Parts: sequence; C-alpha cells; structure tokens
Amino acid sequence: MIPQLLILSLLIFIMAKQMPGDPFTGLITPESDANRIEELREEAGFYDPWYVQYANWIIGVAQGDFGKSYTYKVPVADLIGERAMNTLWLSLLSVVLLYLIAIPLGVLAGRYQDTLVDKSIVLYSFVSYAIPTFVLGLIFLFLFGYQLGWFPTAGTVDIKYEESTKAYIWSKIYHMLLPAITYAVLGTTGVIQYLRSEIIDSKSMDYVRTARSKGIPIRKVYSKHIFRNSLLPIAAFFGFTITGLLGGSIFIESIFGYPGMGQLFMQSISSRDYSVITALVLLFGFLTLLGSLLSDIIMSIVDPRIRID
Amino acid sequence: MSEQLVNTKSQNEYAMSSPPSGFQVIIREFKKDKLAMFSLVGLFVTLLAIFIVANFIDQDQLMKVSPRDKFAEPGEKFFFGADQGGRSISGQLILGARNSITIAFFVTLITGFIGIAVGLITGYFGGWIDNIFMRIIDFFITIPSLMIIIVLVTMIPKYTVTEFIFIMSTFLWVGTARLVRSKSLTESRRDYVNASKTMGTRDTTIIFKEIMPNLSSILIVEMTLNFAGNVGLETGLSYLGFGLPPSVPSLGTLVSYANNPLILEEKWWVWLPASLLILFLMLAINYVGQAIRRSADAKQRLG
Amino acid sequence: MSKKLWTMLVLLIAPMLVLGACTGNDDSSGPADLTKFPLVVDNEGEAIEGGTLKVALGTDTPFQGIFSWVLYEDSYDADIMGYASNVIFETDGEFLVNDQGIASLEVDQANNKAIVKIREGIKWSDGQALKIEDLIQPYLIIGHPDYEGVRYDGDFQNIIGAVDYHNGKADTISGLKKVDDTTLEISFTKLSPAIFSIGDGLWGYAEPSHIMKGIPVGKLLESDAVRKNPVTLGAFKFDKIVPGESIQFARNEHYWKGAAKLDGVIVKVVPTSSIAKAIETGKYDMTAGSLPATTYPEVRDFENITILAQPELSYSYLGFKLGKYDTTTGISTMDPQAKMADVKLRQAMGYALDIEQVNEVYYYGLRSRANSLIPPVFESYYDETLEGYTYNVDKANEILDEAGYVDTDGDDLRETPKGEKLEIKMASMAGDPIAEEMTTFYMQNWADVGLNVVLSTGRLIEFNSYYDKVQSDDPEIDIFMAAWSTGTNPSPAGLYGKESAFNFSRYTTPKLDELIAAIDSKKAFDIDYRANAFHEWQLYMEKNAPVIPTQFRTAIYTINDRVKHYDVNLETDFDLNQIELTAEEPIK
Repeated sequence: MIPQLLILSLLIFIMAKQMPGDPFTGLITPESDANRIEELREEAGFYDPWYVQYANWIIGVAQGDFGKSYTYKVPVADLIGERAMNTLWLSLLSVVLLYLIAIPLGVLAGRYQDTLVDKSIVLYSFVSYAIPTFVLGLIFLFLFGYQLGWFPTAGTVDIKYEESTKAYIWSKIYHMLLPAITYAVLGTTGVIQYLRSEIIDSKSMDYVRTARSKGIPIRKVYSKHIFRNSLLPIAAFFGFTITGLLGGSIFIESIFGYPGMGQLFMQSISSRDYSVITALVLLFGFLTLLGSLLSDIIMSIVDPRIRID
Repeated sequence: MSEQLVNTKSQNEYAMSSPPSGFQVIIREFKKDKLAMFSLVGLFVTLLAIFIVANFIDQDQLMKVSPRDKFAEPGEKFFFGADQGGRSISGQLILGARNSITIAFFVTLITGFIGIAVGLITGYFGGWIDNIFMRIIDFFITIPSLMIIIVLVTMIPKYTVTEFIFIMSTFLWVGTARLVRSKSLTESRRDYVNASKTMGTRDTTIIFKEIMPNLSSILIVEMTLNFAGNVGLETGLSYLGFGLPPSVPSLGTLVSYANNPLILEEKWWVWLPASLLILFLMLAINYVGQAIRRSADAKQRLG
Repeated sequence: MSKKLWTMLVLLIAPMLVLGACTGNDDSSGPADLTKFPLVVDNEGEAIEGGTLKVALGTDTPFQGIFSWVLYEDSYDADIMGYASNVIFETDGEFLVNDQGIASLEVDQANNKAIVKIREGIKWSDGQALKIEDLIQPYLIIGHPDYEGVRYDGDFQNIIGAVDYHNGKADTISGLKKVDDTTLEISFTKLSPAIFSIGDGLWGYAEPSHIMKGIPVGKLLESDAVRKNPVTLGAFKFDKIVPGESIQFARNEHYWKGAAKLDGVIVKVVPTSSIAKAIETGKYDMTAGSLPATTYPEVRDFENITILAQPELSYSYLGFKLGKYDTTTGISTMDPQAKMADVKLRQAMGYALDIEQVNEVYYYGLRSRANSLIPPVFESYYDETLEGYTYNVDKANEILDEAGYVDTDGDDLRETPKGEKLEIKMASMAGDPIAEEMTTFYMQNWADVGLNVVLSTGRLIEFNSYYDKVQSDDPEIDIFMAAWSTGTNPSPAGLYGKESAFNFSRYTTPKLDELIAAIDSKKAFDIDYRANAFHEWQLYMEKNAPVIPTQFRTAIYTINDRVKHYDVNLETDFDLNQIELTAEEPIK
C-alpha cells in the first residue's frame, strides 16, 4: 500500500509541475509588481529542481505536514480536513439513500423478471446512467431548491445556528439532503443491475428449489433465502461505492455550492495550488485503497473461501 | 464511477455463465426480444444515417459563428435551432454524434485490445507474470482517474481527438483486463488446455486460438457495455471544461451548454436533442448487449 | 420501447416547462439602452426597524477568508470586507482624495512629503480609539521581512527607509514620522500626481495596532485577528464566519458616521450557475460586487429588482507582440523583425473587427467599442475625440493593399509584402461563457479581409497558462486578446513603460517613454498639464497601435425592491449605514 501511494505521489507531483502557470500567475494585476511576484516564487522554492521540491514535500508528508496552500495560505491538512468531513458526511448520506432506493428496486426487478415492473426499473437504471449529473443536479436545484423552496440552495449550514446544538446538526443534514438525493437517484444503476441478476440466478439454485419443494411459501423464500444470499455480495460492493461517490463529488459539489474536496480539487487545478492538488490525489488514492480493502474484508467475512493474502 | 460498478458487476455475473452456444442462439434471442430487436435496428439505422449525412456537412462552414442567429429557435432558419454562436444544432448533432461515437469506438477498441491481451496472458501463464501485471493493475485501480485526466488535459498543449482517445484509454483498460484474467485463469486449468500443452502446441496458439474463442461471448458483452459507457464519457469532461477543442462539434459540448441556466430553462433545443440522442444510444446498446448476454447465459435465456 | 421513451421525454421536459413558465419566454434580445439604467434606486414603502440585508456572493469557489487589506489576494475577500472597511480616505468622482473621510491628505510637493491628518474621536469596532500608530501599522506589516503578500512593490519602496526596513537593516521605516496624536508625515523618494489617488506608496487603510502589534508578521495570515474576528472602522463588524461559505455582520455601534440603521448583513456564497435564480426567488437583496454582463439576459425581466449600472475601471484590448522583455535587465526591447512589426497591418486588424456586433448581441450593449486606453470614467484624462478603430472592412482592405499585403497565390489569404505566407497566431483566454464564440467570430472577421489567424495552441487557454505564456513572450503568440483593470490611478507607467514586465506588447520607443514620464512628472501636479499629457499619450498609442482597445465595460448591480435606497454613483457620499429595508424578507 505504501509503495503504491509513493509512486502515485511522485507521478502526480511531476505532472502537476508540468502544468503551465503557477500559483503566482494569478496575482498579476496592474497594481502588483512583477519583481515582487518573482521574489515570492523564489521564496516558495519554485526554482529548485523538481526532485528537491519533491523530496522536501514527501519528507514533510511523512511527518504529517502536507505543506501550505498557496491560495489559502493555511496548512493543507487544515484546509482539507475541513472539507473532507463535509464530503465524507455527504457521501455517507448518499450511500444510505442510494441503497434505500436501489435494493427494493433491484429485488423487485429480479423477482418479477420480464414483467412491466422489471422493464420499467431496468429502463430507469439505464436512464439514470445516461443523464449527466449536472443536468439533473441543476433541475433539482431549481425545482426543489428555488422554485418550491423545500431545500436550502448552497453551503453546508445556516449561519444563524450555534455550533454543536441540535438545530445546527439538523441544519447540516438538511443542507446535504438535496445533493445526496441527486447522487442517490443517479448512482443506482450498478446495484440494481447486480442485485437483479443475482436474484434471477438464485431462482434456479438448488437451495431455492429445495426450499420450494419443502413447501415454504414463495414470499418467505424470497425474504429469507434469496434476498439474504444476494445481498451479501452487494455488501462487498460497499467500499467501491463509497470511493465512486468521492469521485462524483467533483460534479455535485460545484452545482450545489457545497464546499467539499471535489470543489477544492477543481479550484486547486485552476489556481495551480500544487500542494493541495497532490495531497488531494493522494488522499483519494488512499481512500480508494481503503475502499477495496474494506470490500475484501467484507467479502472474507461473508464468504470464508476468500482470504486476503 | 457507475461504469466501474457496471464492469465489476458484469465480471461477477459472468462467473456463472456457460460457454457460448453459437450464433443461432443470439439470433433466436433477438427474435424473442422485440425491444432488443428494435434497438438493434434503430441503432443500425441511426449510425448509418449519421455517418452518411456527416459526409455531406462541411465542418468549417457549420462551425462558423454568426452572432445575429444566436439561439435562433427551431424551424425558421434552422431545423433544430441554433446555439449561442448561431450555429445549426442539427448539423452539430450529426457531426457531434459521429465524433463521439468514433471516440467511443476507438477507446473501446484500444482498451479492449490491451485489456484482453493482458488478461489472457496473465491468466494463462500465472506465476510471476501474473504477479507483476496484477501489481500494475492494482496500481491503476488506486489512481483517481478523473483527477489525473483533468491534470493531464491542462498539461498537454495541443489537444485533439487523438490525444483525447489515448488519455481515456490509458485508464480504462484495467477493468477489462481484470475480468478477462479471472476468466482465463479458470479456462487455462481446463483439460483441453492441458491436453494441448502436452501435445506441444505453442502458448500463443493456445491463448488466441483455443482459449479466446471460448471466452468470446463474454468479451463481446464486455465490449458492448464499455462502448455504451464510453459514449457518455466525454460529456462529463466537457462539462468540467476539459472536453474537446471548441471547433470540434461533440455531443458532450452540446449537452454541457445546459450548465448555463438560461439555456437549460429557455433554450431547450440546444441541449435536449443531444441528451436524448445519447440516451437513445446508451439504451439501445445496452438492450442489445443484454440480449447477447442472455444468449451466452442459458439460465436467463428467453427462448 | 418507443412508448417508454416518450414517457421519459415527458419526464425530462416537464420540469423544464415548469421552470420556463416561471421565467417567461420573452426573448427580445435587443441591446440594453445604457441610459435607462439608473445609478440610484429609491423604492416605495415604510422602512422597517432594523432588518438584515442579504447579500449573495456569486462564485464557484469558497472565499479564502483573509480579512486584512494588507494581506488579501482574492477579490471576493475584498467584496466581503467592503461591509467592514478600514479605509481612511474618501475620494471624489475621479478617485482623488477629498476631505470627507477619516483622514485628510496634504501634499508638500517641494519636499516630497505627504501629511495625513485623522479626525479626532474615531473608534474601532471594539471601542478602542483610532491612533496615529494604527496608520503606521500597515506600513510596518507590508515592509516587514516576513511579509508574504504582494504589496511590497516598487511603489512601496518609494517610501524613504522602506527598503532598509525590509532588508532588516532598520527596526522601523525612517520615512514615517508621527508629528502629533493626529498627524502623520510620510517622506517619499519622489512624488507624482498619483499621490492624490492614493498611489506612490501611500496606503489607504488603517490596521488596529493594539491588536496587530502582538502578532508576529509571519503568523498574521493564520491569526484569529485576520481570519475570525477582525476589528474594523466600517459600518458593520464581523459577527460570525462559516469558513468559505457565509459571513454574518452586525451593526458597528462605534461607526464614526453613526451606527447603521440595519441590524446586520449576511453574505453567502452562491454558485454562479444559480445566482440569477437566487435573485429572482428573493433569496437575496443584492450581490456583493457586480454581476457579469453575460448574466444580464437572465435577470433583465425580473420584476422584484432594479438594475443599476456603473462604468467599470477597465478595458479589453487586442495586443500585438512586438519584442521581448529581458528579465535580467528588466527592460523591453523591440524586434523589428516581429511578424506584427508593420503598423499598417496592426491598424488593418483593428478596423477588420466587428466588435460592435459582438457588443450588441452578446453583451447587450453593456460593453461598447473602446476608442482609448483610458476608461471614460477618468473624465479629465479621457480623450473622447479619438476615433479609435471602428469596424470598417473597406478601410482594412485598403490599408492592407497599400502596405503590400496581397494575395499572390490565389488562396484568398494575403501574403506578406515579401510574398511569404502569413499565419498569425492568436492567444485567447477561456473563461467567459462566450469567449469561444467571440474568438471564432473575430477570426472570421480577419479571414474576411484575407488574414489567416489561428489559435496559438489550437484552443482557448485558461487563465493561468494564458498569462504565463503572454508574459514569457511565448513565440507561439503573435497577437493576444486580454483586459486590464486600471485601478484608480490611470497612469500608464505600470502597463506600458519600458521597464514594466506587464508591458505585454513590448512596444517601447523614446517618444513613448517621454510621454509617459510627462504624465507622472512634477509638472503634472498642474491638472491641465497632466490632462494634456494624457491626451498626447492616448493619441500616440492610437496612431502606433501596439495595442488596440476593443471594449469599455459597464458593471450591473441588481437591487431588490425592499431596499429603500441604494446608490452606486461614485461621486455621491452614500454610505452603508444609510441602508434601510421596507419588508422583513426580500421581495419575490
């Protein structure tokens, strides 16, 4: 795991340095002084060879110091920490909603295979796969946020509440709801499709036939046997779903003005905030690894035949 | 991200599928499934029409800006109206569809080629070859590809359709490789392979002449699904401003106009036709893919 | 399938229709008549007691939250600080210091000195009295060796002793002298008329020395005094901050012009894609800073607002690369072999552009063809008699024919007088929603007169790369389109001087240096002399066309109908403490 992250960090560091422009290009105005900007570049070590810069940076990282954001002028760790929590909570809520939508639909589609119900659900899953996130995001925002006024339209919390009161926490969740719903509605494809074919497969499995021949009512077979067996691999999916959501945050957060990691990434790219870019890619890489590890662990719990080496 | 889900999903699903049962099964499957048939015919006609008509459109002429025709409504002068630059939407739709489909096709081809080759070889040989490639594959899975693609796009100074295809392909072969490897791993342990080995058949012959045909139905399904996913791929990048250059019409660019609320609400003809075309392409390809998949999997077969 | 597809279609379109119905589909895309935009709005209705003004900050990125005039870099931070300003001078319509502010300015030209006097009895928002040390404090921060901002510049070094202080050779800046409790004397190396528009190194804001003194300059950026609870002299004070997304201001009881009538102000970040919707649905009273001109068609039909307009201190221009900047000597030299070296070619390119059409169609008349490098706001310096390069294809063709640029190989594109192919590479910046259409249109304009213009990298270049390439004289760039905001001091020295790194066209002649020197000379303290120097410079730039001004800009503001009175006029003394509301919530 560590070597993978090291290679990733080296790769992204070199790439980021290759991008034209640097954090100080953005300071050019007629009132600023070109010499002063040059001086700032030197102070920040921009003219050192890249491997010196990388070495300095990675030594810092090893000590938990990700450097300082050039645009925000605060330690990168502080900057990301603030937003990482926002993104994580949003992702978590999205996952919960996603499973709430996807599992019943997947089960229904599988159980009533080739009926109208199944066909509509499959159509929905494809359509949601095809709709670009930002189109649905904007429609939801305009309709439910502005026109109907059911949800707040930007930010993570209403400024009028005192921190860590009940109202404050509720306000936070309330602000997450609309983006999370958008997420969930669009992200169900994989789970629905997967669950559906699992269930279709299970129907012809021996244990189901045995159960049926013993006279167990069909409802019970579904709820006790098939559903459980199909759900286990879905659980294994969990880690990937979370990391997938983190990637999707880039779109959702910019539409809903939700200050999280995705939004921060886009901004760091345009302002060439190298230290933040590198740290974020590294963090996402780490989370992906963690996700797949989580999936492996769940897998090995549900299915003892699979062992992690 | 949902693509990753679909890929992983198909990977697991095929684990249960049996070896292919010939072309006839596929035909029978399509005859049974009207939706798939309709999709197949519709897809064929649409693609044919797009590629034929596209030859008669002069791209430079089409992409000429005429401010006074800004957001011209459908009907009057333009069949599908005009965009912000006063350029015909219908023309861009056809050229854009051609470009997007071409991109998707080549990306699918390249990733398919690499993925299948790597998957077959690692699965067949196993041992240290498998180990090395699995390390590489694991590494690619760690990479947050969307982020790296964005960094790459800002880095590359001259950026055309070709570069776009290669950047995409760099990150998308991994899923296919993983799937094919797991298949080829089990396939390689079968008796017929062992028999062939003892007879002294060359490894390449065994891999490409014996194992690959046995996996063909899975490979076809995988490629169809990848293709469907890749059609929609460019859209997201265009939205983020990292799509194709402006002078190249593309479905992604048309859809991403919807990011401007004024266009989203009032100038539906700019973005809706392209969205529906993408939707149609993806649905049709997926229905066709499903039918093929069913014919490969006796348990789900309709007839 | 077809049936289902239709259902889907309906599902997709239905919300559109709902939304569309609310906005109305009236598409009269005629240009805005600039005269119809007022500078001032007065709304009917009885003012309520107190109330909170809701302000939208339209941005797709969180604000940085550096609330200090010496340290901030992000213009959004500046917009926010506008509500809790530490400004000590007030200026008139031409941005010259008058005596209406906290401090007044007296200039001793003979001795290169400025004398700043502050009113008595002024208090910070924490109740502490404003002292003369508070005026010295910002200089001590900017000049400090540990200072990380951009404001330690050439102008700042004009203060006597600033360099020694910056290099650690002195404990304080020798040019700053506290005369008595209300008077500060600042000595400069040289003075120009720019001192009256707070230039030459003079600093226009105070810093609370009773707080700042205790914080090392290197730690200032992270300190609570800058990030969490800055103290101010303005009409409102910071009450609560949610980093990156919203800020709550409360009335400053100690405000020297009298406590505000409002209870407070809330500023919240709103993504640019939904800002019009937010205004329409009455979520906000106004925006912090102006709205982009391209948003105008979205807001123009709203019935709950009044649109105010104000000319901007900026211009767009077309620049030609004519030489190189030597970074070691810091001097621009012209290259007689440059592709754009022929002044006739440059002039023809100016005449060939149909900027009028772009302004009318895409900017709704909120931008107009610029005729000069000085925005008209600077009334005494702006030369309205200049003709500029208005759209004239015949004239462009004529000039090119005369100069020997003719098509010799029959491809409808002109060759150089030497008979070589001419390919002009243009750099154009991405970002503006219509940047792409505009650039393509201009390239068509040039193709119409037979000039082959192509994009430098094959596409639009995003902001950072753009200025990186333009400033480093990238050989891939022959011409470029950009914009400058002039700030309140219109002196061209910083943008067109021989030694300026921002003189992007690298055009420099002895005559030009002379003209620029005249503008900032001692003689120019005489207003007529300076105005005349400006006129001559503008004329010279027009004739030689190293850059061709293309657009003047107008900023628009939307004010909700519940705001009783608001004023964007630069000349009146409208202040935030006068704002009143007529309803509890913004009108929908």
